[in-house]
Amino acid sequence: MHSLGQPVPDEHQGLGAIAIEDSQLAAAVLAKDRKATAEFVARYTDAVYDYIHARLAPRHDQVEDLVQEVFLSSWENLERYRGTGPLGAWVMGIARHKVEDYYRGRLRAPESIDDPDYISAVPVATPEIHEFLEQAELRKKTWEVLEQLTEPYRLALIWRYWDKASAREMAQKTGKTEKAIERLLARAREEFRGRWSYGQ
Amino acid sequence: MASEQNERFVERLMESIANNDLPKAGMAPNSLKARIYSALVRQQAQTGPIESLTRSHARGHELCVFEQLVRISPVGEAAKSLNICRICHARVLAEHMDNPPIYWPGCPYVEFKKP
Repeated sequence: MHSLGQPVPDEHQGLGAIAIEDSQLAAAVLAKDRKATAEFVARYTDAVYDYIHARLAPRHDQVEDLVQEVFLSSWENLERYRGTGPLGAWVMGIARHKVEDYYRGRLRAPESIDDPDYISAVPVATPEIHEFLEQAELRKKTWEVLEQLTEPYRLALIWRYWDKASAREMAQKTGKTEKAIERLLARAREEFRGRWSYGQ
Repeated sequence: MASEQNERFVERLMESIANNDLPKAGMAPNSLKARIYSALVRQQAQTGPIESLTRSHARGHELCVFEQLVRISPVGEAAKSLNICRICHARVLAEHMDNPPIYWPGCPYVEFKKP
């Protein structure tokens, strides 16, 4: 690591001129090298943005704030990066935690989960017409339905089925009971299926 | 029974888009990169001076015209460790525009414009 008081070795290469190893980049950012910091942002922002954009769809108004939080948190924790894996993967790990924090915050709101009187306004049917749809249409429609769901339902389904979180994990992270999460997931699935059927 | 059917139905559909068709946001806006960079350097500066322009130059980094001026000025290292981008119009433009009218080499905000 190069700290501020140390002499700079002659063989040091310009960070902007060549691609440097991840651990060197991390060390230079920790040394508050402004050009390395710019390289760090340029290298990883697109990937983090893409990941968060998909996870928060269609609420894109929060995406940029969350991406910025990921980078500030990366800087605060960069000393923990050991260089044993790619720096990009390490940053994406922080992005995953930030998205989880976002889910947790949204699902913690009492009205989000504890809604025992919930009755879906959408009629539930039991067709299997999707079997006749082309795969692309199927995915398109899945997206459309997902975007129509209220945020707690959408986040619960994404958290459960994309990020493979169990109901128990979700309960622990939101401070809710496992039963409450299972109820939330059941209602989200019911709403999803209802809207799916309704749109056909 | 109906609940189990729902679960399988939703699970299958959710996994189909998780594996195949996540919406691609593409590249992050350049203005976002500029804001993140500014925020990071600001945070770095809160805990002490950032690396001086003398050291940056010695490391082989390309400095922008304004940074070069500060580097060759007869001022102490403390002044050369200031975040001079904080008072630069390039930063302001880049934080608010995705294609700001800034072109000189060595400026990180200009670099963010490159594909």
